[in-house]
Amino acid sequence: MAKETREQGQDGGEFAEFLADVSQEIALRVESLQPAATVPTPERKKTPIAADGGAITEWPSIADRMIEEMR
Amino acid sequence: MSVVNYGTREITCKIVYYGPGRSGKTTNLQHVYSKLPEERKGKMVSLATETDRTLFFDFLPLDLGTISGFATRFQLYTVPGQVYYAATRKLVLQGVDGVVFVADSQSRQMAENIESLQDLHANLADESLDPRSIPLVMQYNKRDLPKSEICSIEELDETLNFRGVPHFSATAVTGGGVFETLRSISTLVLSRLSAPATKV
Repeated sequence: MAKETREQGQDGGEFAEFLADVSQEIALRVESLQPAATVPTPERKKTPIAADGGAITEWPSIADRMIEEMR
Repeated sequence: MSVVNYGTREITCKIVYYGPGRSGKTTNLQHVYSKLPEERKGKMVSLATETDRTLFFDFLPLDLGTISGFATRFQLYTVPGQVYYAATRKLVLQGVDGVVFVADSQSRQMAENIESLQDLHANLADESLDPRSIPLVMQYNKRDLPKSEICSIEELDETLNFRGVPHFSATAVTGGGVFETLRSISTLVLSRLSAPATKV
């Protein structure tokens, strides 16, 4: 797999060639590597404000909301 | 590890030039730096002793601009080749994505090449990186020296390149083979890019 060596001054666009190769590779990778999507979380109903002066009565729902907000 | 970050639209890769002292690692980076267009020239950080030996490491950030919508940055590092800078080499290897092993083609330097390669393997293993699978390219430097003083490519390959990775002959001091080597390691590193899972 020996590669030929380019002598100095033969190509002033060494960086441009390098950039072109890298760009091509990245374009390929970015296309094939879409981020692994997670399943969207269904929107939860907000805990209704209790009629009795805002006292929390639905503890399981509050816990769910806290967990969701912490995500 | 190099990652396509879809959130920040960034790609960052770290490439380390490894090899024995005076094999031409810093010269590789200096050539790359000399060929950068002015608008992309950042600072090449090089800490050398009075005798021009790399004391700590060289660092060349390569800002490649926006490619396919991603801000792309390569970070090129060298390690000090001298045996007594083992701790520095370990430090520089942290988070490496690809390695260019710069071997000195001189026959009398073969033992140093082997020792450095063994050191690389040990340090990669310490970083929990598999020396058998990390992207690696061999560069056989100083091919401009008289034939009587240097090993043949076949001999170097047989002794050092047991993985059969891409190898390049080079004369880094005049730039020969420098970009070919960089292109090869870059392609290998990019082919292993991974995308983190992101929330929709």
